[in-house]
Amino acid sequence: MASPCVARTARCLSASARCPVARQTASASSSSSPSPSLRARARAYHSHDHPPSPTFGPVDRDILAAAYKHVPEHGFSLRAIGLGARDAGYPDISASVLPDGQFSLIRYHLVAQRERLADRSRELLKEEAPLSAAGVGEKVAALTWERLMGNKDVIHRWQEALAVMAQPSYLPKSLAELAALSDDIWFLAGDKAVDPSWYTKRAALSMVYSSSELFMTNDRSPSFLETRQFLHRRLGEVQSVGSTVGSVGQWVGFTLNAGVNVLRSKGVPI
Amino acid sequence: MSAPSLLRCRAGLLRPTACISRMNHRLLSTTRQPQSSEPSSTSDRQTHFGFETVTESVKRERVAEVFTSVAESYDKMNDLMSLGVHRLWKDHFVSSLNPGATNPPGMPQRILDVAGGTGDIAFRMLQHSHVNNGNPNVHVTISDINPAMLAVGRQRSLALPASHQSSLSFLEANAEALPSSLEDNSLDLYTVAFGIRNFSNMPAALKEAYRVLKPGGVFACMEFSKVDKYPLFNAIYKQWSFSAIPLIGQLVAGDRDSYQYLVESIERFPSQEDFRDMIADAGFAIVGKGYEDLTGGVAAIHKGIKPL
Repeated sequence: MASPCVARTARCLSASARCPVARQTASASSSSSPSPSLRARARAYHSHDHPPSPTFGPVDRDILAAAYKHVPEHGFSLRAIGLGARDAGYPDISASVLPDGQFSLIRYHLVAQRERLADRSRELLKEEAPLSAAGVGEKVAALTWERLMGNKDVIHRWQEALAVMAQPSYLPKSLAELAALSDDIWFLAGDKAVDPSWYTKRAALSMVYSSSELFMTNDRSPSFLETRQFLHRRLGEVQSVGSTVGSVGQWVGFTLNAGVNVLRSKGVPI
Repeated sequence: MSAPSLLRCRAGLLRPTACISRMNHRLLSTTRQPQSSEPSSTSDRQTHFGFETVTESVKRERVAEVFTSVAESYDKMNDLMSLGVHRLWKDHFVSSLNPGATNPPGMPQRILDVAGGTGDIAFRMLQHSHVNNGNPNVHVTISDINPAMLAVGRQRSLALPASHQSSLSFLEANAEALPSSLEDNSLDLYTVAFGIRNFSNMPAALKEAYRVLKPGGVFACMEFSKVDKYPLFNAIYKQWSFSAIPLIGQLVAGDRDSYQYLVESIERFPSQEDFRDMIADAGFAIVGKGYEDLTGGVAAIHKGIKPL
């Protein structure tokens, strides 16, 4: 785990008061040049030196952060956003500037929990922690579980949220957020592979995470024990499928190689 | 707006300087437009009237002529030009703003609908807040620079339920210099639908909007915009704009020049990103990308919020 990346994630996690880039964004909104938060946000890779541009501007972050406190009671709803706007000192009409309505609040949860995970990973994976010596696979399992626990407080509202996320107009943003999450988990776990497995790893983890999340919405066991077992079974399956695919690949490679050598030994000019 | 003066103006399209000098003369002699007779500090500055370049005071005068000329047939023409889609846009605009939804329910809200002469937006606001949100304490002021458009709105408002009528007021005002009766920090919502394009000095109007809105108040603007993202659709749209719309104007409203101005002014209007930056320059905070395209960008809704 490289320390600059931890510094990066910690810096971007906090509110704008602690984040120089975010503060710059707030003041830039009154200048003529479009501020970074207005540009299309596309993160192609994790930079060790530059924090990612913040997902939310100062106004929407204030409103959504206040609205988030009302989610356990009122769900991811316009009512929660309206109450949050009032708590943050904004008039009721200001809730209408959020471009996606209630999905804005769901996206706030997704982004905030993903960024919290980066902060938590510092504690989970620090030098003296038992996980620091573990393999990448174990770290991924621990981080995924940590992220699932981020849904704990709103789990009774999460089925509604999933229904909203699945609406056609919001689906692309929801999937992009899922992809960013699995990318973050692999990155924080210290995976540095840049071969085609980059894609399969992220796709597999996205599937495991989303199915575990769905399982969790119906889990009534103490401290989500069954979800934990479910998660480890799915991760185990992915590993066994992965190793099966790997073994089959090895076998195919060996057989082809041997076949070519046999043909060569018979004098075929290959 | 008499037909001969339009003909003169049409001839003026071919000979712009002659037309402008005649307009300047009219400007000095007219008494119909109190706002335009007060020379503002920028009234000699250059601006656009369609594809022509004129001074701001001339633009104000000529926009007044256009809308006086089209006021009567405004609704019919909107339906024909947009194939009825403008009603859907306006419904979406109002429901996305959700006026009257307050916590606790029934709290007062003050809304100013600028360039809203015929009441299209204001009547929908009242319907949404009074009926959908059950909040009768929402007040809407319709403001327009053009008395002919306001007269159409007044006439149409007589068909509204009495409770809606009592929550409605009319104001003849120039959006670039709103009267002092509209106090600083007094409004929850400022809307302008298909109007800001005609303003001589848009930054001044945005500054005025910023002045009258409460901290946390919302500026919302619906305006024709650019379809550059879809080249094929854009080609069809441009063909429709420049060929069909002036023709429909000529056949239905008997006024080709006003509708020629309409399509030229749409073409002149800045792109979504540029207009968003103008809103930010006036001091508003922008949330997300700051605009929403309607029908691929034929129209766009821009929103800004006055920071606390």
